[in-house]
Amino acid sequence: MTYAMQDAWGWSIAIYLFLGGLGAAVMGVVVITDMFRISKREHPTLVVWGALSSIVFLAAGSGMLFIHLLDHLAVINVLNPLVLFKKPDAWIGWGTQFIIWMMVWGFFYACPYLNKAKGTRDMPVIGKSDECNPLCKMMKLCLKYHRAIGWLTVVNAVGTVAYTGLLLQSFPAVALWHNPGLPMLFMVSAFSTALAYILLLQYLAIKEPDQDLRKLFERIDLGLVGLEIALVFFFVNYMLSGSESGLQSVNFLWNSWGWLLGFIVMGLIVPLLLEIGAVSGKLSGHAPVVMAAVLVLVGGFLLRHYTLVAGVYEYPW
Amino acid sequence: MTHYAMVVDLNTCTGCNACMAACAVENQTPVWADKWRTRVHDQEKGNDSANVARTFFPRLCNHCDIPACMTVCPTGATYKMDNGIVRIDDALCMGCQACVLACPYDVRYAVEYEDIHIAKSFYDEDVMKRHRPGVDKCDFCHDRVALGLKPACAATCTADARIFGDLDDPEDRVTKIVRSGKATPLMAHLGTRPNVYYIAEHREEG
Repeated sequence: MTYAMQDAWGWSIAIYLFLGGLGAAVMGVVVITDMFRISKREHPTLVVWGALSSIVFLAAGSGMLFIHLLDHLAVINVLNPLVLFKKPDAWIGWGTQFIIWMMVWGFFYACPYLNKAKGTRDMPVIGKSDECNPLCKMMKLCLKYHRAIGWLTVVNAVGTVAYTGLLLQSFPAVALWHNPGLPMLFMVSAFSTALAYILLLQYLAIKEPDQDLRKLFERIDLGLVGLEIALVFFFVNYMLSGSESGLQSVNFLWNSWGWLLGFIVMGLIVPLLLEIGAVSGKLSGHAPVVMAAVLVLVGGFLLRHYTLVAGVYEYPW
Repeated sequence: MTHYAMVVDLNTCTGCNACMAACAVENQTPVWADKWRTRVHDQEKGNDSANVARTFFPRLCNHCDIPACMTVCPTGATYKMDNGIVRIDDALCMGCQACVLACPYDVRYAVEYEDIHIAKSFYDEDVMKRHRPGVDKCDFCHDRVALGLKPACAATCTADARIFGDLDDPEDRVTKIVRSGKATPLMAHLGTRPNVYYIAEHREEG
């Protein structure tokens, strides 16, 4: 037997998976928060900056995949939505369409808020409520179908988040990837990193009087980080027996400082303790939440990087 | 119908690598970058002079009935022909390399822009078969097979270690070997239903 670690997908694909999950989850969270009037009001600034950040993340992540392609011109073959009728079983096809349409619908959802949101309402053209302004007409049209657009955004956002895990799950020879736990772990991690990013936005950029919403996000993120720790434990327990490929992956991860110290300690346990302190009121001020959010984001990337690197193949020669 | 398959006899392979050379010339693979459609692993088994043995393990695309590489391909570039051969349409392949990760047999490799550039002088631009980068792998020399010839590797094998045939023909030698149970596929537990079968080594003492 020969055991080999994959080298076809490197750091650029880890960034793609990280930014894809983060961007889609940010979009999903801000749109759901606004659609259901959580905290009893609309959130124009949060929606606009969340949606724009999400679009930037997804564009940058997709750019990483594009750079990685061997034949860049042939990318046209996957951008056509009709490819799903030809290849409905390939997750990259679904992921590409989810990402494209989530960016489109997400922008349209944020559009009516552009003249209300802090930071964009004072911009030229956007701030004017001139009826002849084409942007103003588009804003009105988007507002008319706002809820439908919101649902289309959320469906595509959840699809994108799920896709990042389903993609790796579709490779049958690697025990670390080919199991039902991986998409679940990536989903929980994506929403956790999204809430961390949104908290950073709220504390460092938006600075609106939305303490009730911040507290809610802190509590949810605390729950997600706790759930992620449990999932990682289940994962390792599953890998320790049943296949040599899985065992080799766990051995690699357990001997990697980046995984142990970077992801497990600094990306999960320390943020968990900081968030417990912040939520319980034992740690006051913005610093613990901001620090926890930064660590959760770094941990989210390290999770995807090490999951990719630790894919072990078992060859019968 | 036709259902092409190959039997590899690990007892008769001498490790001459003629199959690799024949395949490389036939299919113009980027050998300068150590990229081959078929390989022969040179292995040493045993731990002392009394039982040490040098063995060879040829490998190639297994042309699975349920190819994981085809499932993950987002553009439909990887497809299965009616005769069982799994091929890649170079015009559709964008080279995302998901198929490289999906293949349990490590038989796919990336052809990069640089490989295409070097191939122009190495194989002569006028007769080049590939003009775009993408992923490449064995296709059982489908153009030779269409003419009634064996794949280059099987045709050149001096030891009869690579036996090519049609599993739908009950009189074919490959069918008889496979039905006898002497040859088995690699990693059948993964559910890919491969069509390359191996006759295991039968080492004798003394």
